[in-house]
Amino acid sequence: MSSYAEFLEEKKKIDELYEKGYTITAVREDLSGAYLTFERSKLDLNDIEEKIELHILTADTRKYFSNLIIAQQKELI
Amino acid sequence: MADLRVNFAGIKAPNPFWLASAPPTNSGYQVQRAFEAGWGGAVWKTLGEPILNVSSRFAGTHFNGQRVVGFNNIELITDRPLEVNLQEIYETKKKFPNHAVIASLMVEPKQEKWHEIVKKVQDVGVDGFELNFGCPHGMAERGMGSASGQVPELVEKQTYWAKEAAKVPVIVKLTPNITDITATAYAAVQGGADAVSMINTINSLAGVDIDTWKTIPNVAGKGAHGGYCGPAVKPIALNMVAECARNPEINVPISGMGGVSTWKDAVEFMLMGAGSIQVCTAAMHHGFSIVEDMVDGLNNYLDDKGIESVAGLIGQSVEKYSDWGHLDLNYKVVARINNDVCINCNKCHIACEDTSHQCIDMLTSENGNAYLEVREEDCVGCNLCSIVCPVDGAISMVEIPNGEPMTWNQRQEAIKLPICNS
Amino acid sequence: MHLNRVKDKKISLKDLRKNFSEFEPALTPKEAVEESNRCLYCYDAPCIKACPTGINIPSFIKKIASGNLKGSAKVIMEANPVGASCARVCPTEELCEGACVLNNASLPIMIGNLQRHATNWAIQNSEQLFQAGEANGKSVGIIGGGPAGLSAARELARLGYEVTIFEAKEKAGGLDTHGIVSFRLPQEISLWEVEQVEKLGVKIHTNTKVGRDIPVEEVMNNFDAVVLAAGMSKVPMLGIEGEEAEGVFDAIDFVENTKTPPLDQQFIGKKIVVIGAGNTAIDAATCSVRLGAGDVKMIYRRTESEMTAYEFEYEFAKQDGVEFRWLTQPIKIIKDKAGHVKALECVRMELGEPDDSGRRRPTPVAGSEFSMEVDAVIKAIGQTRYVNLIEELGLEHNRGVVKIDMNTHQTSNPKVYAAGDVIFGDGQGDAMVVTAAQQGKLTAYAIHKQLITDEATLESV
Ligand SMILES: Cc1cc2nc3c(=O)[nH]c(=O)nc-3n(C[C@H](O)[C@H](O)[C@H](O)COP(=O)(O)OP(=O)(O)OC[C@H]3O[C@@H](n4cnc5c(N)ncnc54)[C@H](O)[C@@H]3O)c2cc1C
Ligand SMILES: Cc1cc2nc3c(=O)[nH]c(=O)nc-3n(C[C@H](O)[C@H](O)[C@H](O)COP(=O)(O)O)c2cc1C
Ligand code: SF4
Ligand code: SF4
Ligand code: SF4
Repeated sequence: MSSYAEFLEEKKKIDELYEKGYTITAVREDLSGAYLTFERSKLDLNDIEEKIELHILTADTRKYFSNLIIAQQKELI
Repeated sequence: MADLRVNFAGIKAPNPFWLASAPPTNSGYQVQRAFEAGWGGAVWKTLGEPILNVSSRFAGTHFNGQRVVGFNNIELITDRPLEVNLQEIYETKKKFPNHAVIASLMVEPKQEKWHEIVKKVQDVGVDGFELNFGCPHGMAERGMGSASGQVPELVEKQTYWAKEAAKVPVIVKLTPNITDITATAYAAVQGGADAVSMINTINSLAGVDIDTWKTIPNVAGKGAHGGYCGPAVKPIALNMVAECARNPEINVPISGMGGVSTWKDAVEFMLMGAGSIQVCTAAMHHGFSIVEDMVDGLNNYLDDKGIESVAGLIGQSVEKYSDWGHLDLNYKVVARINNDVCINCNKCHIACEDTSHQCIDMLTSENGNAYLEVREEDCVGCNLCSIVCPVDGAISMVEIPNGEPMTWNQRQEAIKLPICNS
Repeated sequence: MHLNRVKDKKISLKDLRKNFSEFEPALTPKEAVEESNRCLYCYDAPCIKACPTGINIPSFIKKIASGNLKGSAKVIMEANPVGASCARVCPTEELCEGACVLNNASLPIMIGNLQRHATNWAIQNSEQLFQAGEANGKSVGIIGGGPAGLSAARELARLGYEVTIFEAKEKAGGLDTHGIVSFRLPQEISLWEVEQVEKLGVKIHTNTKVGRDIPVEEVMNNFDAVVLAAGMSKVPMLGIEGEEAEGVFDAIDFVENTKTPPLDQQFIGKKIVVIGAGNTAIDAATCSVRLGAGDVKMIYRRTESEMTAYEFEYEFAKQDGVEFRWLTQPIKIIKDKAGHVKALECVRMELGEPDDSGRRRPTPVAGSEFSMEVDAVIKAIGQTRYVNLIEELGLEHNRGVVKIDMNTHQTSNPKVYAAGDVIFGDGQGDAMVVTAAQQGKLTAYAIHKQLITDEATLESV
């Protein structure tokens, strides 16, 4: 598979989570890549806390989520 | 006609092209010929206690039929008595009062030695001094040259001693045989240097003869490490100049050298902060007359760009030189092939296929013609294909709009605490 | 051929031998290094595809650049057993050099000259580049020791066959040894290639013409396979009056005579007419000039645009001072009392409708006859075939062009294979040394496939 296709697949997963209202709340990076923790705001969904972890492999996706986080932080300001 | 005159730390010269302290500046005869040929200044072959040289001293590095891509030497400083040199310096300066004559000095790291030589040389009327803390062989084994140039305290102290006696500007010439040249440059500034110059030669062994198994060069079958210079060292020298230029604590002029062969190289050094340019290997390879095109080329370049004097060039690119962490990770370029110019050597394909990201396809058009195409989405913009492509204009690296900039430093900061970082 | 590299273009009348020494100088070591470093080392290089023997050109050139001349010569000779000759006689402008990508950017690499440089090294260092394979018990007889026969023999020997070549002439090498002018291909080059093949254990019986010195059946019966690589024969008759006169020569014989000393002094200052305008005609004309002839004309019944000689050959002949008479057909050779050529009677031609070769058919212009004084006439209007030999072997042919199956290289008799000029014509390749070499190679592999590989597969079934 071309690395671009791999990126698109990972990006899709992230985008889907965002669409469902998740945001990235933590990033852990090690030799195997990046682990993203997604959380959905408790207020929206009857106080059910939901956490999802994604393992990101490609470099392009690691750039991509970093951009998302920066955009998200800018919105918060 | 642009104004090529320079005033480098108070040393004035008709142009920025100076001969570096080396064989080309060994004698008054040579330096005077050089000035006649058009060189703006000369740093006299390093003065000190006359040494003894070995026979067989130089070696060239040749690459793919090109001679002297690099140049190696195991020569030491001047082998002539100080008085002989001083007499010739005096005569030269008298004949060429407007040219810069700078005396390179090297003595043992003792205060009285520095005072003695500075005073003696100063009396014949030099325009400045250059303290040689760079020579990497021979002299270093005796505690001079790069041996003292690698120890920041010694650089500072010796500069200070020289400055105590000097009435003309003192340039400190640095050795590249050190991990971080800004450390010794800073020490020179602390010692009161009026300017720094770099680079001296890099520790090297030019080669081994694969038939006789002797070193190149060899002296009666034995070799010792030498100093490397010439075109091959230019990128190393340029980086060292740039690192010093962008360091706010090294706030003195820089004389740049190391691999300068043409006016273009000189322009690059100047853009990266060099206020004057020194040349050795190119002159040794081609003779003094090469300065003619250096001067002419620089002049035409400045005229072309509408820049009135060399001063308008110096340091213009320094702010563009930064740390990796400040580079924009979102910036994206991709390779694009112009099939009208491409000659179908397929070098880009195999370079990308074997050693980069496998994204240049060899295709055949409907009418049976072979052509190449980059799959841009997979291209990481590494430049490799455009580097190996033998035809100018066949591959261009095209910028692709890719959102707001994001540096590594920003990213690391941002991902620490993704949701509450502001 | 790079005419601009030829330093001494003068013809010496005192020392004719000088005129026949290789006229384009070898590359100096410096030139070779510079030129080899200019090669881009293309990937999937078009020059390789343009070489009929598929020499890995960037590989051998890179080896020159790196100073590995032995390796370089081996790459060349591996793909082309007559690679040293080909370095000199191939029409490189039409082949490898014509395909070099640098044609579009600067100047093509001098591939032929670099090939000559590397093979010269091997010749000068008497390097034996290849070894015979382990004997496999099979034997092959080859009729003809020219490029095709030698090439087949070399590959067969490397595959372990016991190979015997029958060669009619005193020395093997075919036209490389006897037919191609010395100033382009000195004989010793071709003989080195012969020696390389002999050193693999190939037996070469010279002075042995099959059908004359040894019966055809003997060859047919003594080997597991037979390769016919006899090339082509003499120049055909013009079919005009006076052709038997003294002073009328066959171009191939004429050139052959210049290949071995002593050189004939009789043409110095003489008037020579060459009939034809192909590669052989050019060779005959330039040889005439080098033998000291005072006036050399080529007459051709069509025009410049129909001539089959290569552009560089034409240029070369013009530089040598050869005069061209287009639209001119010989009709009669006039003899003096002693039976020697005195004059050539010709008629002017004009071009009509295209004939089956696609070229416009020349027809005589009535009343335009004229005559020119000549001392010698050289016929160079193509080559005839060894029809007798072919028929004795019982092979199907079309006017002497032996028919083969292009896949198996077999003739109508499956035991007999054919390669080189014997199959030239009818769209089966070009009459070039390099194609003969390639066909010889392919024939060897085809034989191996039939005799060993297929047998082995049969056994294993
Ligand atoms: C004058 C001339 C110039 C040429 N110039 C060039 C050139 O510049 N470049 C190029 O690429 N090509 C050139 N050619 C063409 C090239 O020489 C031939 O295509 C090539 O030599 C064919 O090789 P071959 O082995 O098939 O035949 P040949 O080289 O003809 O070899 C055949 C051999 O078989 C031998 N033989 C024939 N009959 C018998 C028999 N009955 N028994 C035993 N042996 C026999 C012959 O003596 C000869 O040695 C030229 C040809 C001629 C005539
Ligand atoms: C043979 C030779 C001798 C040299 N001797 C000296 C010297 O005595 N003093 C000195 O400061 N530098 C000396 N150098 C270093 C040059 O001045 C210069 O720093 C170096 O060659 C880099 O410039 P280039 O690439 O233009 O040659 C010498 C260089 C060479 C090649
Ligand atoms: S820039 Fe790098 S990745 Fe992109 S096509 Fe060229 S070699 Fe391949
Ligand atoms: S390297 Fe350049 S010239 Fe060669 S195929 Fe690629 S684009 Fe074309
Ligand atoms: S095409 Fe030309 S440049 Fe490319 S490998 Fe062949 S000879 Fe060299």
